[in-house]
Amino acid sequence: MEDEKDQTQKLYELAINYSKIYKGKISIIPKVPIRDFNDFAIIYTPGIAGVSLRIAKNPDESFELTGRWNTIAIVTDGTRVLGLGNIGPEAALPVMEGKAIIFKYLGGVDAIPLTIKASDPQNFENVVKSLEPSFGGFNMEDIESPKCFYLLEKLSNELNVPIWHDDQQGTAGATLAGLYNALKITDRKIKETRVVLLGSGASNIATAKLLISAGFDAGNLIMIDSKGILHPEREDMDKLMLSNPWKYELAIKTNKDRIKGGIKEALIGSDVLIAASKPGPNTFNKEYIKEMNKDAIVFLLANPIPEIWPWEAKEMGAKIVATGRSDFPNQINNSLIFPSVFRGALDAKSKKISNEMIIEASKELAKYAEEKGLNENYIIPTMNEWEAYPRVAAAVAYKALELGFAREKMSKQEYYEKAKKIIEESRHSLKVLIEKGIIRNYINYL
Amino acid sequence: MEKGIKFREANEEDIEAIVELIIRLKRLNEEFDALLKVRDDIKEQTTIYVKNSLSSNNSFIIVAEHNKKIIGVLKAEIRERLFYYPTKEGYISEFYIMPEYRRRGLGKELLKFSIEKLKEKGAEIVTAEFPTQNKIASDFYAKQGFRSVINIHARQIE
Repeated sequence: MEDEKDQTQKLYELAINYSKIYKGKISIIPKVPIRDFNDFAIIYTPGIAGVSLRIAKNPDESFELTGRWNTIAIVTDGTRVLGLGNIGPEAALPVMEGKAIIFKYLGGVDAIPLTIKASDPQNFENVVKSLEPSFGGFNMEDIESPKCFYLLEKLSNELNVPIWHDDQQGTAGATLAGLYNALKITDRKIKETRVVLLGSGASNIATAKLLISAGFDAGNLIMIDSKGILHPEREDMDKLMLSNPWKYELAIKTNKDRIKGGIKEALIGSDVLIAASKPGPNTFNKEYIKEMNKDAIVFLLANPIPEIWPWEAKEMGAKIVATGRSDFPNQINNSLIFPSVFRGALDAKSKKISNEMIIEASKELAKYAEEKGLNENYIIPTMNEWEAYPRVAAAVAYKALELGFAREKMSKQEYYEKAKKIIEESRHSLKVLIEKGIIRNYINYL
Repeated sequence: MEKGIKFREANEEDIEAIVELIIRLKRLNEEFDALLKVRDDIKEQTTIYVKNSLSSNNSFIIVAEHNKKIIGVLKAEIRERLFYYPTKEGYISEFYIMPEYRRRGLGKELLKFSIEKLKEKGAEIVTAEFPTQNKIASDFYAKQGFRSVINIHARQIE
């Protein structure tokens, strides 16, 4: 535990020094050559007016004639940044810059961090709506719950480009991918699997909804929040109806056996635990894992420290354990999902990212790992396995096509080739820029 | 009407269940205004209130039952309107349905059932009381043809 703290402190200091040197992590580099000033006559005025006139006639041509097809905004109000809480839009900026790089490196997506000072959800909603003409999509990030549910729901209906809330959908998508394979290994059927979701924040509410869309029986899910197990007769149901209708909905749909109580009661006879609650260690009594069925599946997703240590879960009888961390096996990481989901959505010029598309991403990611050979310590690819990304992107794009959301219609193979080319080029150009010293490498000197 | 759910007039044996639902209703009301803060002795008060209502000739309580369990309640009384026509008012003061039984038309049915009863007892108009900020209730009643006739405004006295 002390080691963990020391390690975190050390990384904090490194990141501060790093940021002092680089003064920000992204910068705009032209895609077009500039040989001399005459080129500006087509890059800019007067020539560019011709392009504007075409787009004015048909605004959808902005996806063909500008970078809009590959550009998204990372938007946040800074109300729930990492595990740090409401630290404000300025403090959220370094995080969003980092996110932009993951988008570029893993998905070839140009992502612009936009941290927004928004007094209320309507204000935020209006800002995002006004920004739509510049972007091919929006990634919402680190927005507090339940505001994030409202915004996702509202903006999905109002925008003609995809909007995504990574803390909800990214985590849910990665969780489902890992779960598909964990169920395969332990020979379980989706319909009969009993899942306990510990924590009822953005990610677990989204996970519960995604699991239901993916065919899990809602009645077989049990959700737990800080007040205990959710069920339709809980005393605070009316309060939830007003303050968090999304949680309220799930309280009504889930827990068909009307189990009441806390974590222990919920885990009795359950197959899967998905914990996305408070950082550990000892967030709950590890002994409770013993109450679960044989070959239990335990996901401990709190960061930076899982609810209980993975080896503790194993000692108590869990067969498959996953965490949010890269230094343990089976990292459930939204970075496995969001770069390729956006790659696919952008390649298809999709109007939406629906639950069906996320499920498709999870399935493809799971399939990739399965083809490599599953075992208890390998239920989901790692971020290093970049070949998974274009495959997931193609699966997502093709699903968008099937659902009628795609403006750009291609075969699955063509979507794959397109995604692969863009991601490869993105990684290649970064490599060249580093080799040429244009991106300077100070990291070794920190 | 949904299978397995029936409405009937409440009796002495239902008191405990009715009290529980009315307390839930008052706690819901509490969410809408600081002047609707629920008293610590709510349970005792509600029990007396329900008992009085059951023994009064002017009022009645209808319960909705599913699998022998009370899942909804409506309390109404006949009041004389001293100054206005029509003179007989059916006044609904308590109306609550458990969360999982909502949004399937049960409230509408229960209201209809109760209005019939009020009519039998001579009521010519029906009124209902709920917190001003309860938009769900005001939308519901508006849909059933109610309109706001008299408002109660309040403030704390310093």
